[in-house]
Amino acid sequence: MSQPVILALAVKSLRNRKFTAALTVLSIALAVLLLLGVERIRHESRESFAATISGTDLIVGARSSPVHLLLYSVFHIGNATNNLRWDSYRAIAAQPEVAWTIPLSLGDSHRGYRVLATTPDYFDHFRFARDRRLVLAQGKGFGDERDAILGADVADALKYRPGDPIVIAHGAGDVSFSLHEHHPFKVAGILARTGTPVDRTVHVSLAGLDAVHENTDQGGAADPLAAVVRGDRHAGAMLASTPRAITAFLVGLKSRSSALSMQRRVNEFSAEPLSAVLPGVALQEVWEITGAVEKTLFAVSGLVVIVGLAGMLVALLTSLSERRREMAILRSVGARPVHVFALILGEAAFLTAAGIILGVAALYIGLLAGQPWLESRLGLFIALSWPSVYEVGLIVVVAAAGLLIGLIPAYRIYRYSLADGMTLRI
Amino acid sequence: MPIQAPVIELSNVRFSWAAASPVVVDIETLRVANAERIFLHGPSGSGKSTLLGLLAGVVTPREGTLRVLGRDVGALGGAARDRFRADHIGFIFQMFNLIPYLSVVENVCLPCGFSARRRSHATLAGGTVEAEAVRLLDHLEMADADVLRRPVTDLSVGQQQRVAAARALIGAPELVIADEPTSALDADRRSIFLDLLFRECARDRTTLIFVSHDASLSPRFDREIPFAQINRVPSPAVAENAR
Repeated sequence: MSQPVILALAVKSLRNRKFTAALTVLSIALAVLLLLGVERIRHESRESFAATISGTDLIVGARSSPVHLLLYSVFHIGNATNNLRWDSYRAIAAQPEVAWTIPLSLGDSHRGYRVLATTPDYFDHFRFARDRRLVLAQGKGFGDERDAILGADVADALKYRPGDPIVIAHGAGDVSFSLHEHHPFKVAGILARTGTPVDRTVHVSLAGLDAVHENTDQGGAADPLAAVVRGDRHAGAMLASTPRAITAFLVGLKSRSSALSMQRRVNEFSAEPLSAVLPGVALQEVWEITGAVEKTLFAVSGLVVIVGLAGMLVALLTSLSERRREMAILRSVGARPVHVFALILGEAAFLTAAGIILGVAALYIGLLAGQPWLESRLGLFIALSWPSVYEVGLIVVVAAAGLLIGLIPAYRIYRYSLADGMTLRI
Repeated sequence: MPIQAPVIELSNVRFSWAAASPVVVDIETLRVANAERIFLHGPSGSGKSTLLGLLAGVVTPREGTLRVLGRDVGALGGAARDRFRADHIGFIFQMFNLIPYLSVVENVCLPCGFSARRRSHATLAGGTVEAEAVRLLDHLEMADADVLRRPVTDLSVGQQQRVAAARALIGAPELVIADEPTSALDADRRSIFLDLLFRECARDRTTLIFVSHDASLSPRFDREIPFAQINRVPSPAVAENAR
């Protein structure tokens, strides 16, 4: 019977202390926003990373650490220290367990976007996000060696349409003084958006890239040795255009079960030092590296939640002494000590709930507003999905902590009201 | 309830705050009849407020029997006493009677939130609890639109006491206990307040226990009880041991 009265009293009493209540709600909301935001970005970045490559059993490159190989070949983060020889690639591709291979050659760029030279196999076999394949949104695939296929972001940002000429440059920088101007490519097709680094990549054929570099040679630009000294990543290609060198290649096996034995064979490849990595294992290593940072962020946001709730505790406790009179009045009109207890607990519950609702709302508004930025700057596509079970769990923990903290002032006022009864001492 | 049955009946009631601490209230007998207007007076610290606490069931006697409206209050459990108080007793304190964040009408309606009995009485009398609150406020000359709209903290002390009186009276409790409700008012306002309170109590035949240290009010009541005469504990001892 009196529950609605207590609830109404709690809400009205908070409204009477709007300013403190609003500040308390705000601090809880920010804490919840931080906690869920960190968790959401952590989770989504993992999802997004994991979705970048799918269906590839092995990534093979020159000898390096698995994480490094994975990052430069698939995520286009960092650069390869060495190339691998074309005949090594052919030798491994010819193994009976191998179903398909995709050679990758990196090192050039177009206005800040990486250029990836590959073969049409790339569009046949490359999979991302649980077996989705690359799809052309406009134009067509590789026709001749001057064709370029653009990722969605490249086309959007630079406003390219099929048929436009593009000139690629040496190196990965935004500005390069070594433009391959005499060998322009032509935009043949534009890929549909994938939410992976593919969107920010210019794809050309290996043959096209070789043609570019041969032309450079004819222009007399380079003594091959000087190119090696400069750290020119196409040095291999220039030194011996057939067989060429590539940066890395992706391998699809006929049977998953041969992945480990194949990996061992590549690692023991005698002609040159190579590394083969299982993408999942390498990703796991990435998570191990980032895990410590994530844990720290999580701990910090957890502490912020505690600080937010402690703020509520302080606000409620400081209001108590001036509210003893109010409690005595309530007792005189028939409120039981448990009602007085429920009133303060109800206020804590209301503040916590309002903080959580505001925090979650802010998270979604933030995600909605920040989505394009995160996607274009970090390549992180964050889907606006319902809170995950884990996130709901976090929310429940915050709510429970809020109630638990509310028990402290509620119990104190309960004790006061038992002791004070209706004596109104000012 | 038969008219003759006493509303309040105490016999050999002794009270101390803790088992080992000195007795602060020791009353051999006290009877108050229905619709009686009692003026209870005595110096501050003489234990009057403790007696009111006993009547209200906030504290229970260590010895003796205390019957209010025929119920042995001392024998009831805490929750039952709270419910009994909500249903049957209206309170007016000396000052600061009102919940600052509630409106005038919400303050008056408050007891009906805790007592179904008083809510049904109020609904019966006024149609709705709110209408009954406004009606009572009107009787106490407090129903101007301007007054009803104002935050209770903006009201004068006299106005606040009338709102408190309306709250004590809503839902027709049998017993109204007023603990020095006029001590913050000047003589004229005190007299007006008493007129209004008496009129309302008379209407529902409400029993009124009015506590004050101001003996000049005594002639206006049916009966005067000097607290020092009924409490067998001498005042100074009470004052010393009062919490």
